Amino acid sequence: MSILAYNGGCVVAMRGKDCVAIATDHRFGVQAQTISTDFKKVFKIAPRMFLGLTGLQTDILTVRDRLMFRKNLYETRENREMAPKPFSAMLSSFLYEHRFGPYFIEPVVAGLDPKTLKPFVCNMDLIGCPNEPDDFVVAGTCAEQLYGMCETLWKPDLDPKQLFEVISQSMMNAFDRDAMSGWGATVYIIEKDTITERTLKTRMD
Amino acid sequence: MDLDLARNLPRAGFNFDNCKRNATLLSGGFKPPTTTKTGTTIVGIIYKDGVVLGADTRATEGPIVSDKNCAKIHYLAKNIYCCGAGTAADTEMTTDLISSHLELHRLSTEREVRVVAANTMLKQMLFRYQGHISAALVLGGVDKTGPHIYSIHPHGSSDKLPYATMGSGSLAAMSVFESRWKPDLSEEEAKLLVRDAIAAGIFNDLGSGSNVDLCVIRKDNVEYLRNYELANKKGTRQLDYRFNIGATQVLHSTTKDMHITERIEVVPMETS
Amino acid sequence: METLLGIKGKDFVMLAADTTHARSIIVMKEDQNKIHKVSDNLLISTTGESGDTEQFTEFISKNIALYKMRNGYDLSPRAAAHFTRKNLADYLRSRTPYQVFMFVAGYDETEGAELAFIDYLANAKSLNYAGHGYGAMFCSSIYDRYWHPNITQDEAYDIFKKCIVEIQKRLVVNLKNFNVSVVDKDGVRNLEPISAQSLTDYNASS
Repeated sequence: MSILAYNGGCVVAMRGKDCVAIATDHRFGVQAQTISTDFKKVFKIAPRMFLGLTGLQTDILTVRDRLMFRKNLYETRENREMAPKPFSAMLSSFLYEHRFGPYFIEPVVAGLDPKTLKPFVCNMDLIGCPNEPDDFVVAGTCAEQLYGMCETLWKPDLDPKQLFEVISQSMMNAFDRDAMSGWGATVYIIEKDTITERTLKTRMD
Repeated sequence: MDLDLARNLPRAGFNFDNCKRNATLLSGGFKPPTTTKTGTTIVGIIYKDGVVLGADTRATEGPIVSDKNCAKIHYLAKNIYCCGAGTAADTEMTTDLISSHLELHRLSTEREVRVVAANTMLKQMLFRYQGHISAALVLGGVDKTGPHIYSIHPHGSSDKLPYATMGSGSLAAMSVFESRWKPDLSEEEAKLLVRDAIAAGIFNDLGSGSNVDLCVIRKDNVEYLRNYELANKKGTRQLDYRFNIGATQVLHSTTKDMHITERIEVVPMETS
Repeated sequence: METLLGIKGKDFVMLAADTTHARSIIVMKEDQNKIHKVSDNLLISTTGESGDTEQFTEFISKNIALYKMRNGYDLSPRAAAHFTRKNLADYLRSRTPYQVFMFVAGYDETEGAELAFIDYLANAKSLNYAGHGYGAMFCSSIYDRYWHPNITQDEAYDIFKKCIVEIQKRLVVNLKNFNVSVVDKDGVRNLEPISAQSLTDYNASS
């Protein structure tokens, strides 16, 4: 088994029209045993930016702490909010620093640029190779299922309401085919003036 | 800024803190994770007035296509570009680093950098890491000594060639060059030849796919033709998969309103 | 082989740990306490590699004591759990990693009760109920059935009894005796240990 599948879990992010969405499951397990069903793998980084981390939970916590440290230092020095693009660049170089002893995580970034309000989604492999497509990004133990669901359900210029349905259904149907993910899900819809957080009703098996 | 508390500040260069732990974990029977690879067909040729570089746009993680349209022709300098194959993060970061070195070199020498300098920097860096940075590159550019193509291998060896191919699709692409390349091709002939070589990779090699990117570097200008040809267009959907709004059951929902209501008034400075 | 259990209520955390110290196939000791009182409002229960558990718990508790001496107030349970995790994660990256599984349990007037699950990889999670070791596998379903947000200390103690009945019935390893401690607003107290003997009385009465 891959070490990335030790704790299980998945994250997906999608672009819509003037909005982005990011979703996470709630499972935290140790291999086949579920320890907790309220572990959200998505963290708020800035008012309009979220970071999703899947993989080994200890590294999720460590990377999240280290990134927050670097991001706060950047904001203290520059006296301005960090936009998703430079944040992803920072994350990418942080992961590549550990090229020969990586953190076992796969990150997903979703947000709106604080000035231009342009939607942004991005993911990386565990050594920080960035990927910025204009549709969706996935990560986690059911990434393959997520690719399939997103590829069929996603289309350009979805409004926030439609985007919510698309991302929720993609995620739920994907993790229902994965034993290591699921047990509840949370979806964040990021628009220029509102952030909506919705907890989904899912299968609990 | 000097912060006493900021002891976690990153030191330059690679960090090996996790190596011991990871080795223990992996020796405990866990499989190492897969990194994003660019299986890739990348090529470069010299024609009459410059060089043409070409690349496919597929990135893979094991058998999964992780990016259907990634850019593999990287900017090094105004007159030099570089195609990368191998571990995607390595090609990306190596070319970024060398690009920054080249710009510093240009500023300190006040001359346009030469392709041979880029080649030397790249191969010396790759040799230093003894093949652990798995970047296979096709470097191309035009400087005052004329057009140049180099192919650079991950261990740090390089060849100066009139036409070069790299990556898993290199054999398919090379067969096209071997049959049709000749000295002093015209620009149109060169672009067609490179396009055909990349297409050979896309359609005959599993590691390569999607679209054709080209980059034409002439004596004093560059034309980066991103998605020069969309070799694999996605079919348009005839029907629509749509969930009704409200189809997903929600347990609870919170909304954070970010309307800015505060008004800022200008208070004139006291000048009396 | 060894088993740790933990339950969090609104205003208390209760820990149980077996008292067996075994090496290879031999039971060396039958009365080892694995629940350590770290400060007035903090308990840490530890299991894992035998030397490591003692050394690491002592290292953490002395540092938490030092923190109190320097600052004049205790580290909150949440902070103590973070500190413990950070140290474990840092040691994991050294030549001498500690192999320990632990619960950091505490009560704080402002933050309330806290039960932190930490495993040998420094995976950490604040939980309502949890277990470490093979015995814990039999307990998840009992917890799911009987735990509720307003659980009292008596009910929690009763859940432990149910768990231990199951462990002694179904686990091949013989875990005779379990120490039980609780931490709440009045500090740390040791409760009556749950043993095979006390459970025969319990079973007879129910």
